[in-house]
Amino acid sequence: MATSESITLQVDGKTLTAQPGQMLIEVTDQAGLSVPRFCYHKHLSVAANCRMCLVEVKGAPKPLPACATPCADGMEVATQSDLAREAQQGTMEFLLINHPLDCPICDQGGECELQDVAMGYGGDVSRYTERKRVVQDEDIGSLIATDMTRCIHCTRCVRFGSEIAGLRELGATGRGEHMRIGTYIAQSVASELSGNVIDLCPVGALTSKPYRYTARSWELTQAETIAPHDGVGSSLYLHLRRNQIMRAVPKENPDCHQTWISDRDRFAYTGINHPDRLKQPMIRENGKLRVASWPEALQQAADLMQATQPERLGLLASPNATLEELYLGQQLMTGLGSRNIDHRLRQVDFRDESATPPWLGCRFAELEQNDITLLIGSWLRKDQPLLNHRVHQSVRAGGQVIAVNPVAYDHNYPVALDLVVSPAHMVQQLAGIAQALGASTTGITVTATTEHQQAAAQLRAASRGSIILGTAAQMHPDYALLRRLAAQIAAAADLTWGQVGFGSNDLGAWIAGATPGYSAENKSAAGQNAVQMQQGECDTLVLLGLEPEADVADPQQTAQALTRAGVVALSAYRSPLLEQTADVILPIGVATETSGSFINLQGDVQSFIGATPPPGEARPGWKVLRVLGNTLKLNGFEYLDSTSIRDEALQHHTAPLPDNRLHPGAETLQPVADATGWQRIGGVPIYATDAIVRRAAPLQATPDAWDDTVRLHPNMLAEHQIADGATVRLTQGECSSVLTACADARVPDGCVWYPAGLPNGAQLGASFANNVRLELA
Amino acid sequence: MEYLQTFWAELPVVVQILLKIAAIMLPLMLTVAYYTYAERKVIGHMQSRMGPNRVGFFGFRLLGLGQPIADAVKLMFKEIVIPSGANKLLFLLAPLLSIGPALAAWAVFPFDAGLVLADINAGLLYILALTSLGVYGVIIAGWASNSKYALLGAMRSAAQIVAYEIAMGFALVGVLVAAGSLNLGEIVTAQQGSILSWYWLPLLPLFVIYFISGVAETNRAPFDVAEGESEIVAGFHVEYSGMTFAVFFLAEYANMILISALTALMFLGGWLSPFQGTFLESWFAWVPGIFWFLLKTGFFMFCFLWFRATFPRYRYDQIMRLGWKVFIPITIVWIVLVAYLKVS
Amino acid sequence: MNTVINYLRSLFLFELLRGLSLTARYMWRKPFTLEYPEEKAPVSPRFRGLHALRRYPNGEERCIACKLCEAVCPALAITIEAEPRDDGSRRTTRYDIDLFKCIYCGFCEESCPVDAIVETRVYEYHFEQRGEQIMTKQKLLEIGDQYEQQIAADRQAQAAVR
Repeated sequence: MATSESITLQVDGKTLTAQPGQMLIEVTDQAGLSVPRFCYHKHLSVAANCRMCLVEVKGAPKPLPACATPCADGMEVATQSDLAREAQQGTMEFLLINHPLDCPICDQGGECELQDVAMGYGGDVSRYTERKRVVQDEDIGSLIATDMTRCIHCTRCVRFGSEIAGLRELGATGRGEHMRIGTYIAQSVASELSGNVIDLCPVGALTSKPYRYTARSWELTQAETIAPHDGVGSSLYLHLRRNQIMRAVPKENPDCHQTWISDRDRFAYTGINHPDRLKQPMIRENGKLRVASWPEALQQAADLMQATQPERLGLLASPNATLEELYLGQQLMTGLGSRNIDHRLRQVDFRDESATPPWLGCRFAELEQNDITLLIGSWLRKDQPLLNHRVHQSVRAGGQVIAVNPVAYDHNYPVALDLVVSPAHMVQQLAGIAQALGASTTGITVTATTEHQQAAAQLRAASRGSIILGTAAQMHPDYALLRRLAAQIAAAADLTWGQVGFGSNDLGAWIAGATPGYSAENKSAAGQNAVQMQQGECDTLVLLGLEPEADVADPQQTAQALTRAGVVALSAYRSPLLEQTADVILPIGVATETSGSFINLQGDVQSFIGATPPPGEARPGWKVLRVLGNTLKLNGFEYLDSTSIRDEALQHHTAPLPDNRLHPGAETLQPVADATGWQRIGGVPIYATDAIVRRAAPLQATPDAWDDTVRLHPNMLAEHQIADGATVRLTQGECSSVLTACADARVPDGCVWYPAGLPNGAQLGASFANNVRLELA
Repeated sequence: MEYLQTFWAELPVVVQILLKIAAIMLPLMLTVAYYTYAERKVIGHMQSRMGPNRVGFFGFRLLGLGQPIADAVKLMFKEIVIPSGANKLLFLLAPLLSIGPALAAWAVFPFDAGLVLADINAGLLYILALTSLGVYGVIIAGWASNSKYALLGAMRSAAQIVAYEIAMGFALVGVLVAAGSLNLGEIVTAQQGSILSWYWLPLLPLFVIYFISGVAETNRAPFDVAEGESEIVAGFHVEYSGMTFAVFFLAEYANMILISALTALMFLGGWLSPFQGTFLESWFAWVPGIFWFLLKTGFFMFCFLWFRATFPRYRYDQIMRLGWKVFIPITIVWIVLVAYLKVS
Repeated sequence: MNTVINYLRSLFLFELLRGLSLTARYMWRKPFTLEYPEEKAPVSPRFRGLHALRRYPNGEERCIACKLCEAVCPALAITIEAEPRDDGSRRTTRYDIDLFKCIYCGFCEESCPVDAIVETRVYEYHFEQRGEQIMTKQKLLEIGDQYEQQIAADRQAQAAVR
C-alpha cells in the first residue's frame, strides 16, 4: 500500500492511519477497536442498513455508520461516546422489537452476534408490548434450515448471493414491517457455496440443517483440519463433541479460500460415520470374507504381495489419500521392486507421460486479476467451487471467460464465448484456437472459424489470463492432446495454464511419486499406469483408499481386473465390489482421523492432525502402510510420526513449482476420440467425487446430487420417441445399465450425459465413450 | 432343698468350681452386654438422642433391649481378618491375654460376706497383679497387627497403664494401710461402722485418684488415647474384626466393671448397708448385702459413661503429666499421712 | 486472689463437676430424635431432592433441549442429546442425570427457561444395581408425572421469590 497517501485520524483518542477511501470500520477493526455491527462483512459490499455501527464523528450533526463512512484526514471519531452509545442502544432496541425470545431453542444461541451485541448494548427491559412479527418459513433444501422470524434484515445473505455465489437466490421483499428475506420462487437454494450464509447470518435465521438441534456451541471443541474433497484444500475447523464431528466451519485463510468454503467441504462430515465404515480387518478364507486380527490380516497381505512377481504387482491410490500415505505406498512398491503405482484413476489417456505437475499454474488469488480465463472441459463451478469463485470475481471486475466444453454447463457468470461441442470435437475446437493464434496444432489440420478467431483475439488481447483444464478434460480420451494444445495456446498468448483434477492431493501424489513414470528421486523408471492396471495386467493389486466401482475411469474393466487379481484393499468404507473381490481388507481412517498433509493446486503443503480416532480397529492409513512395510521386512519403514514421512517425501521437492509454460511438449499426437454413434459424456458430479461425499445424506438430497438420470437433448428425445422421464437402458459395449431419461438442452446433439462415480454407473465402462446405445427398457 | 445340698456336696470339686465360675461369668457376660447397651442409651440421652431403640424381641421393640444380643451375634458371624504380615499366633493370642486377667480377677471378689470364690489373704495383691497383666494383651495386639496405628495405640496404652498403675497401687497401699489386711473381705469388714467410716471419707484423695486412675487404666474416655479414633483410627485393635474384636471389647467392659466393683469394695464398704449406725439400719436389714454392693458398683459404672459423655479426650502429654506429676505425689503424701495417723 | 481461687477451683475439680452436672441435666431432657420412618421432618417447598422432568398440562414435555442445565451443572452430571422431532420441534433424545455425580445444587432448575427440570421433595429413593443411578429421560418424566401436583404447588408457593 502506498504509505505516502495515508491519512491519520483520531478514534477514541488513538491516532490511526488509513488509506483514503477506506471505511471507518475497516480501520477500527485493524486497530482492534470494537464497533458493533450486523450487516457489515469484510468480503461483502457495504449496505449500511443495520445501523448498529453508528459512531460519533466530530462535526457531523448525527451519528454516522462506521461501515459506510470513508475516512478523512484529521477526522475525530468516538465509538463509545454518549451519543454513539445512545444511538447503538436505540438501534439495538429496534432490532429486538421483532426478534423472538427463542434463544433456548435457537441453534445460534451461544454463538449469536445479536446475543453478544445485546449483552453489550441492549437494555434489560423490553418496552415493546405489541404483537411480534411472525414470518412463514420456507424449505430451502437439505442444507440450510430457516427460521425467518429471527431475521434482522442485515441482507448479508442477499449480498452473498449476488456477489459471491453469483446466484440471486435469496432476496428481500416488502418494506418496513413487511420486509422479509426469502427465495424469489419457492425452491431450494442450489448454490454450491450456499452453506456460507449459515456463517454469515448474524442471528439464527439461517442455520445448518444437518447440525440442527444436535449440539450447542459451548459443548464443542475445535480441531483444525484441511478439507479432503477438492484441490483447494480449505482450512476447516471441525467442531467435535465427545469425539464426534458435529459440524465443519471455515477457518480463514486469505491465500486459499478466504472465509468461504464449499458445501461439499462443509457437509461432507455427515458421511464419515456411515454404516459402511469398515471397523475391523478382514481376510478371505474359503471364498468368504471373515473378520481377522491385524497381525493376521497384515501377514496375509504381505504373503499375497510377496508371492507376486514384482512387475505384476500394482498399487492404485486415491488422489484423496494424504501425502504420507501416497509416499509410503510408493516406498512399498519400490521396496518390492515394482513401479506399478498410479493415482490418476479416472484418466484414460497417458500418452503424455513426461507432463508437468498437475497444478493450477498460478496462485488462486491471481485468478481474480485475470482478464481472460479459458476453461477446457471444466465445469469449474461444480468441480472446484472456490476456484470458480475466484474466476467469478475476475468477471465481476471486468474479466472474460471462454469455455470449450462438452456440455453447456451453467456458470454463475456470463461466459463470453461458450464453445459446446461433442467430446470428439473438443480437440478440433482447441486446435482451431491454436491455429488462429498461430501456435502449433501438434499435427492436427484444422481451419480456424470466426469463433476461433474471436477467441484468439480475446486471448491475445488479455494482459493476464489462465487456461484451466477441468475434470471432463482429464477423463477425455484425448487428454494428452487437450493438454498439449492448452500449453501451446498458453505459450502463444502468454497465459498461465493448469490442470484441475479430482483429488484433494493430485499434486501431493505427483510429488510423493505415486505415478508410474516418476519416483520422488528417479523420474524415468516407468511402470504400469492406472489404465494398464485396470486392464488387468497385474496379478495382485493394492487399493489405497478408493472405492473401485466409483473412483476409476472404467468401473466394468476394473471389476474384471479385480476379480482376476488378488486384492489388498486399504479402505475406510466397504463397497460391494470390494466385498466381492478383496482378499484382505485393512480398515483405515478418513482424512479427519489421521495426521497427514495435502498439497493443494497452488502448491501449498498443508498438514493437519487427526481430529477424532478412527472407528473400531481402523487405524490411520500411514500407520497401516508402515506396519505393512515392517511385515514385508522392507528397509526404511521405521517412521515414528507422520511428519517424518512428510519431510522425507518432500526432500526432493522444491518450491515454487515449475512454470507450466516452460514445457509445452513438441511431438505430434493424433486424436483417438471417435465420433461414431452416440457419444457418452462423462465427468463427475459435485457430490459423487469421493466415498465420503457419496455417503453424505444431506448433500445427496440437494439438486446437485445426480440421481439415476441420463441427460440428452430434448430434440434427441423427440427424434427417438423417448419420453422425458422414461426408463431407458444405456448400453456401452458389453455392459448396460437401466436409467431414467431426462431432457436437458445443455447436452449437444448426438450425446448422452451420464457421469461417472454414480451407483448405477458401476455396471458401465469408461465415461467418455462412443457407440453407446439408448433404448427404452 | 436338702437333696440339692447333698447333690452339690457329692459333685467332684472341679465341677463345683466350674459351676461357681459359671455362676460368676454368666451374669458378668450378660452385664457386659447390657453395659454396652446402657452406655449407648445413657450417652444418647445426655446428648438429647435416644440411643438404640429398634432391636427387640419377637416383634416388640422393648426399648431396643435386643441390641446387645444382635451385636453379639453379628460379631460372632463376622469374618476374622488376619492382616498379611501379622504374627498369626500372637495376633490371636492377644485378645485372650486381654480378657483372661479381666475375668480371673473376679476369683477373689467377695460379693457378700463369705460369698467369694477363693477367699485368699493376698487378694489385693492378686488383683493388682492381674490388672497389670492386661497391658500385655494390648501391647501384643499392637505389635502383632503389623500396623502403624495399632503399634502407636499399643505404645500409648502401655505408657499410660504403667503411669497410672503406680498411682493406683499407691492408692491401694493407702487402703491396705488403713485396713491392715490384703484380704478383700477383711478390707470391707474394716470399714464397718457407718457411711462415714467407709474409706471414701478418710481416704478421699486416694478414692478420687483411684477411680480416675481406674478410668485411665481401662483406657476409657477421657483417657482413651490408646484408641484415639480421631488420631490413630482405633489404636491397638484397628486390625481386629469379628470375634477377636468382640473379645477385646468384652475385656474392656469387664475391666470397667472390675474397677467399679473394686472402688465400691475399697472405698464404699462393699456389701455394707449405707444405713449402718442409723435408725434406718433395722428397716433395711432384710436387704441382702450383695444388693448394696451391686448398687455401689452400678454407680461407678454409670460414672464411666457419664465421664465419657462429658469430657473431651486429654492430650497425651496432659495424661502423662497428670499421672506422674499430680497423682503419684499426692498418693505418696496421703499414704505417709495415713500411716502416721494409724501409728499414732 | 484470682490465682488462689483458680487453684482451689482446679483442686476441687470445679469445672469438671460443672460439666458433669450439665450432662446430668441433659439426660433428663426429651430427646430431639425424630423416629424416621414413622416421623418425618417437614420439607420446604425449596427442597432439592430427586429430579423430575415436567410436562405442560396438555401432556407435551416441557424440555426443549436448550442444554443450559447441562452447561451450568457444576458436577457434569447431565448429559443431553437432541435432534429435531418429527414435527420439527427441538427435543431431547437423551436426558440423563447421573445421581452419583449430582450434588443437588439446584442450578439446573434455576437455569431452566421452561421449568422443565425440577428438583422435587422426594428424598427417599435408592439403587440396587449399577446403572440405576442414571436417571433417564423416561424415568424423569415418570417422576414428573407422578408428583406434578406437588411440584406445581411448590413452584406456585415460591413464585413470588423466584
